[in-house]
Amino acid sequence: MQTKTARFRVQVEWVWIGVLAAGAGVVAASVFGSQPQTPASTVASMPVPASPSATPAIMPGDRASQSLPWRLNNPAPNLVLERRANPAAVVDKFAARVRSMEQRATLRAYEGAPPVIPHAIADLNIQSCRACHAQGLHAGDKVARMVSHTYLTNCTQCHVEAAGPLLGTDAAPPNSFHGFRSSGYGGTRAWAGAPPVMPHTTFMRTNCVSCHGEHGYDGWRPDHLSRTNCVQCHVPAAEFEQLAPTFGIPDVADGQSPAARP
Amino acid sequence: MLTVDRRTFVKASAMAAAAAAASGSNRVLTVLNNQPEGSPLKWQKAPCRFCGTGCHVMVGTENGRVVAIQGDQKAEVNKGLLCVKGYHVGLALYGKDRLTTPMLRKNGKMVPISWEESIETIASKIMANPKGFALYGSGQWTIGEGFAGNKLMKAGLGSNQIDGNPRLCMSSAVTGFLSTFGVDEPPGVYDDIDKCDVAIMWGNNMAEMHPVLFSRLVDRRTRGEKVTIIDMTTRRTRTSDLADHVLYFKPHGDLAIANGIAHLMVKGDKYDKDFVAKHCNFRALGPKPDEKSPPDMLGVPMTFEEFAAAVEPYTPEKVEELSGVPADKIRMLGELFMRRDIRINSFWCMGMNQHTRGTAINCIVHGIHLMSGHFGKPGDAATSLTGQPSACGTVREVGTLCHLLPGGRLVANAEHRKEAEELWNVPEGRISAKPGYHTVEMFKRFNTPTDQGGDITTMWVQVTNPGQTLPNLNRNFRAKQNLADKFMIVSDVYPTATTELADLILPSAMWVEKNGMYGNSERRTQQWFKMVSPPGEARDDCWQLLAVSRRLMDLGVEGMKGKDGKWIFHTADKSGKEVPIWDWAHYYDVNVDERLFEEYRPFSTKKHKNLAPYQEYVHARGLRWPVVEQPDGSWRETRWRFSEFDDPFVAKGKGFQFYHSVSKDDKALIWFRPHEHPPEMPDNEYPFWLCTGRVLEHWHSGSMTRRIPQLHRAMPKAYVEMNKADATKLGIRNNEVVTVKSRRGEIDLPVWIGGRGDPKPGEVFVPFFDEGKLINLVTLDEYDPYSKQPDYKKCAVTIARKG
Repeated sequence: MQTKTARFRVQVEWVWIGVLAAGAGVVAASVFGSQPQTPASTVASMPVPASPSATPAIMPGDRASQSLPWRLNNPAPNLVLERRANPAAVVDKFAARVRSMEQRATLRAYEGAPPVIPHAIADLNIQSCRACHAQGLHAGDKVARMVSHTYLTNCTQCHVEAAGPLLGTDAAPPNSFHGFRSSGYGGTRAWAGAPPVMPHTTFMRTNCVSCHGEHGYDGWRPDHLSRTNCVQCHVPAAEFEQLAPTFGIPDVADGQSPAARP
Repeated sequence: MLTVDRRTFVKASAMAAAAAAASGSNRVLTVLNNQPEGSPLKWQKAPCRFCGTGCHVMVGTENGRVVAIQGDQKAEVNKGLLCVKGYHVGLALYGKDRLTTPMLRKNGKMVPISWEESIETIASKIMANPKGFALYGSGQWTIGEGFAGNKLMKAGLGSNQIDGNPRLCMSSAVTGFLSTFGVDEPPGVYDDIDKCDVAIMWGNNMAEMHPVLFSRLVDRRTRGEKVTIIDMTTRRTRTSDLADHVLYFKPHGDLAIANGIAHLMVKGDKYDKDFVAKHCNFRALGPKPDEKSPPDMLGVPMTFEEFAAAVEPYTPEKVEELSGVPADKIRMLGELFMRRDIRINSFWCMGMNQHTRGTAINCIVHGIHLMSGHFGKPGDAATSLTGQPSACGTVREVGTLCHLLPGGRLVANAEHRKEAEELWNVPEGRISAKPGYHTVEMFKRFNTPTDQGGDITTMWVQVTNPGQTLPNLNRNFRAKQNLADKFMIVSDVYPTATTELADLILPSAMWVEKNGMYGNSERRTQQWFKMVSPPGEARDDCWQLLAVSRRLMDLGVEGMKGKDGKWIFHTADKSGKEVPIWDWAHYYDVNVDERLFEEYRPFSTKKHKNLAPYQEYVHARGLRWPVVEQPDGSWRETRWRFSEFDDPFVAKGKGFQFYHSVSKDDKALIWFRPHEHPPEMPDNEYPFWLCTGRVLEHWHSGSMTRRIPQLHRAMPKAYVEMNKADATKLGIRNNEVVTVKSRRGEIDLPVWIGGRGDPKPGEVFVPFFDEGKLINLVTLDEYDPYSKQPDYKKCAVTIARKG
């Protein structure tokens, strides 16, 4: 375990899965039980550096004082800490991008699939998901990312445990599916210095800071976090966006199947 | 702590590039190099392969393989959202053990054979004993496949020995609709989910079984809307977690609860008198024709006074005694139904259908909705949810059951047979008037020695897994292995508990490996095109049926010819030249799906289930029937049937019109059906109730979802859920393996206490997805007398510690 955790966070997470799977229920209880129930207070307890320009109208402490329905109905504000967000804080941002891409891929069958849950869950109360993921948090070397989409109630409908409580030592069934992987942003600039096109859809990914903010991925944080209207400059690549005019219209000739004939 | 130096980065990039090169993929993890223009991904629409919700997915393909899935934002059903099964549906194609070549059992071993030999073998088996040949299909059959199978059997062989697995899944819903409205399938649609104020789950764990529809309901709360969810259940589930009221009832107690609601409406004199007077009749079961038979399903009229007297005993206190639900909660339900200012939507699935009194409970729930006037307005509906993607579209509408003909016709009705013979262009008298065997009976006969009344000798199973899903498997499926003269043909995509006992295995194409059409729970007919090729020699199920039909004709079976002397599946291209679709090399020269659908369409108008031309479905995310052509040439779907504001077949000024009324007066029936005890109940020897069911991650028998790593790892094996109090009493610890035993069979399972679900004391629950743990060795094969649907939810078992 020691030797494997050295370089890739990916592996760290998988080891973590193993540890948690071993003692599923107990660990789940401790994960959820030991954290403060309101994510806002967790954030508030972190050292908050000098805030960039305009102080958000609603600070973490204010959110905590709001009623539960209010908090459920109002997406979290962009709580990004400048210190961590500065790309210079990452030693090698190019390597970090690759690593982040790989780390992200380990939890997804293909780009766009809902990530599996890399830890045990209590399976009793959906609010327990929100305790950490509503606004995201760092705890030691672990990170709970903020949800990337608006609040959907039934979390476990799409997200299942990477290693269920009954898994034991069962191997995954052999499957030859090769999922589509995003190529990353490198090729999506019209010229050096142009704002990159998003290499993914914006459907269910409306909360940019989920991946690109404080609790996002190393190497994916922009150097201009004071700007909050991301889609002013960054547009989704047409092949992912179902609103594009050519998207999803079957390629039909004379009512025939468009597939190659055997 | 986690530093990555330049050397590591270079190594990572090189590894990624090497891995990509090794796998033949062009998906290289580019970091700074220039990416080629455009994406190789191609997206096309399809309905999801799994449940009856009928979500639309966008399927991303690249180099002839499915590589990604998105929820279809243009689809009204799911509005871009999917469940975890739907997001991973593409992986179902790529399990390593796909069946890729036909195999025949020779001297006890399965050996690969050619397709020619396979087709020849089937044809000779049929010809040896045509009356002893049965076709067992599925609610996963596409409309074209079901139509071809039905025609092959009923119009070709003149035999009604064809049934389908919806018999195990939703036939009680069918008999409920038929008894109440005189015509099958729900009057309402999913839009009711968006409009209701109160949602009642009748033994329905919607959060796991129809998660996208459940989200459609509960996510309304996130938007600030108020919706009250009442979960009536025998065990705590994920649905209970989000319910406002959880009412635990004793197994079978649902009949008492529903009658209790009717009682309160009568007593309170607050039923919708105007609606009932104009649009409803009361109905009771008639006398039994003889000792053994059940009374006629269509019953006899009763007056309101007789109805009031019949529900009189169902006081809240009496209902509490029968169901275990506190009397004040029964009063709460009654009061909700008595309110006119709210919209109530009832939901049910297997809880009410897999029930020895399934027809009865379906009828009563429709009855209380009619009586209270909570019917036919957006949000006021009784919604039957289905488990399979085309149980409605194929089996119910095309009529691939032993007593049905396409379009809601009956084989026993001479006029219906005549119409079908005309539409199929086969000689008069071709279709047999005698219904075939329903599913349990069909398999019983196949598993009985031929000289002892087992008159089914050859069975062809397509797109389903009865070796896992039939009740009481020892009796109804596994007895066959000792009978030398029985021959089972199985068309499937993976090895299953069914192929294990097959004599001939045919590898099939699945989902987007073929053209197809499905029909979902809300009468929505959906279409998709083939996107990738099936692996190896796998071929379409529909082609398999057509090839056998053609071979039979060539061998001189007259039934395979129509009145014009041509093959019953004669297909011509635009110039009128015959296309040899029985020859796989030419099967895709035309769109066989379109050809079959256009032949089927005229059948649909008799019961006002009108379908649009095939091409309309190509451009739509499904259309809900009746789909009626408008003066401008466009086609309009119908959301609320029998309601004047939306249904074009309701006469002006009527308000509501049940135009296929059983009582022939445009009125629906409000039934009285008494509470009765189930056939097997716990006793000293077998003290626990056993309930079986599904889990979120797996779809039915798991033959597809258990090959998807993400789903398998989340839910790898079956278990028995037990209440903590019972476990403590028996000294059983969590995860301990126990024996679950009934009078019919036994299996060993690990105990899960306080797990995914939590049964009440005296009850246990086992999911049926795990082929390594066949709970149907234990279940009871008693069935509803009208629908012939078995009750998988209630039987008596004992739990024993090992060793």
